[in-house]
Amino acid sequence: MTSREDVAATANGEKPSPEWPERIPGAVLVVLGVAAGLEATTFDVAFLSDPVGPKALPYLVAVALILSGIHQALRPDPGTRWPERAALVRMGLASSAFLGYTLVLPWLGFLLSTTLVVAALSHLFFAVPRRGVPAAAGLAFALWLLFVWVLALPLPVGRLWMR
Amino acid sequence: MDALSHLVGGFAVALQPLNLGLAFVGVLVGQLVGVLPGIGPINAIAILIPLIFATGLSPESALILLAGIYYGSQYGGSISAILLNVPGEASAVVTAIDGHAMTRAGRGGPALAIAAIASFVGGTLSVFGLVLLAPLLAEWAIGFGPAEYFALMVFAFSALSTLSGGSVARGLASTALGLWLATVGLDPHSAVPRYTFGQIQLLDGMDFVVVTIGLFAVSEVLQLLEEGGAGDAAALAYGRVRISLKDLRDSMAAMLRSAGLGFLVGVLPGAGSTIAAFLAYSTEKRVAGLSGRFGQGDIRGVAAPESANNAAATGAMIPMLTLGVPGSGTTAVMLGALLGLGVTPGPLLIEQEPDLFWGLAASMYVGNVFLLLLNLPLVGVFIRALSLPRWFLMPGVTALAFVSVYAVNGSAFDLALMTLFGVVGYAMRKLGFPLAPVVLGLVLGPLMEKNLRRALALSGGEWRVLFDSPIAIALWVLALASLAAPVAIRRITDLKASDAATDATSS
Repeated sequence: MTSREDVAATANGEKPSPEWPERIPGAVLVVLGVAAGLEATTFDVAFLSDPVGPKALPYLVAVALILSGIHQALRPDPGTRWPERAALVRMGLASSAFLGYTLVLPWLGFLLSTTLVVAALSHLFFAVPRRGVPAAAGLAFALWLLFVWVLALPLPVGRLWMR
Repeated sequence: MDALSHLVGGFAVALQPLNLGLAFVGVLVGQLVGVLPGIGPINAIAILIPLIFATGLSPESALILLAGIYYGSQYGGSISAILLNVPGEASAVVTAIDGHAMTRAGRGGPALAIAAIASFVGGTLSVFGLVLLAPLLAEWAIGFGPAEYFALMVFAFSALSTLSGGSVARGLASTALGLWLATVGLDPHSAVPRYTFGQIQLLDGMDFVVVTIGLFAVSEVLQLLEEGGAGDAAALAYGRVRISLKDLRDSMAAMLRSAGLGFLVGVLPGAGSTIAAFLAYSTEKRVAGLSGRFGQGDIRGVAAPESANNAAATGAMIPMLTLGVPGSGTTAVMLGALLGLGVTPGPLLIEQEPDLFWGLAASMYVGNVFLLLLNLPLVGVFIRALSLPRWFLMPGVTALAFVSVYAVNGSAFDLALMTLFGVVGYAMRKLGFPLAPVVLGLVLGPLMEKNLRRALALSGGEWRVLFDSPIAIALWVLALASLAAPVAIRRITDLKASDAATDATSS
């Protein structure tokens, strides 16, 4: 993404000319602002309850996003160093594990789902399974005890085990 | 004195066994998250809020707990700064300079001791400021109408977004993002659904706990994943945590001055404890002149920022409680918690909820005593927490975050939302967008919109009403002036202000 040469050039005291990937965040903000503004045009009320109405703040938000986005697209801030491929993979796997957790939680229940996701995450932090898996199971059980028994907060048991 | 008799009443609240226990738990948790780099008080507070709601704690007990985490973390941040040169909190960045230099010179013990004592001095003196200033501010603000409130919130937004991001444009974008999230759901005024896209789960709006945990905790996990498994650093030897009378005498004046300075900076919106610590450090450096050895292990270089950042944490409670307008991400989350408990902070809070206000003030004295005890004889226990491996710590924090987010509504949808905000938060951190304004926008957005609409409803749609009173005009001027504040601060401090500003996102 951001090229190393730019970082090197800055270190040498030269001012690098912004490249197009660095303009992406600004462009994204402009797109978000336009989308927010367009969607806000549909916030119609049958009768006008107050002079401001539900559209004013969304319009303000849209304008702020667009202005800030234009500024950052024209004068982007170089030097964001994106992670290496291996790190990206680890972060992608972790995010997928979190999303997977939301899917399996109602079915497998809190204890099993949490053990799985915590073990997976500790593995991504380079724990050896011999230590990571028991730690994950212990943590899930401790949280279950704390929440269900001490604080009396319901956690999902899991539909698979309910029949 | 009036305040004194109220304070006695406050002690009656703070010394109840439950509240005493909560103050202890609060400062203990705060101390821990302060010691551990990466996990900040805002994460701990956001994670605890659903539990507080679920267990039905009273507002005063809840605030005693949450505030304890906040000021407790200011103590803890110094430990890793002094021993590892890795500040546990952004506000301890300056402490690391002279603190770590002292450790390298074999004076780690005195550095830890003075950090604890200075934190105690700043923490306790500033509570006097709290009980004196808060009622005055409340009395002054009692005449605020919706127009004044609107202007005040604009001031809070502009101060936080310029002081926390380094770039005004990025701070503006973060604030706008927060306000945008605040509009999601049914508009309370007209019952029009906004940005819900037909999703029933979005009709209630974005829960600030879900967003905060995603933006701060989950993105932190992602960031640490990027760094890899390192981070199980070993602390240097520090000797005995003792301090000589001479060291204490040398740093007393610096502590007292920094407490005052830090408190005042803390009251201002946006600035917070990180900037307070920087200002105190550079002020003391200037006061010391040629006699100082700042940068090479001057004990005043530890005393000044630690006193200032604790005082600032107390000061930051004042606008949140007496105006209902917080000036930082962490106090915004606390405001969200109080609103959720049915307490509306504002000028009437001290009168209507005396137990809440005076109980909090009294508990801060108690909590600071706890912290002094935890930091002088028991500091070794917390240093051992630093050797907890990352593979255990971060998954543990993640699991806690999951449970807490699930407890908000008992829905897995919120967990997915949290993950989404985790990815967004990570990208924002990488690109240098401050995160605190998002939380402030989300919590304060509905109040800001309500005041704007009320002001214009009263004036019959005449926009001039927003600039009609001297107070409103003054607040607008302050809001504009705060846009220039980053430049001014960079000029006052001869330190790298940009570093502090980038790190201030978590404070």
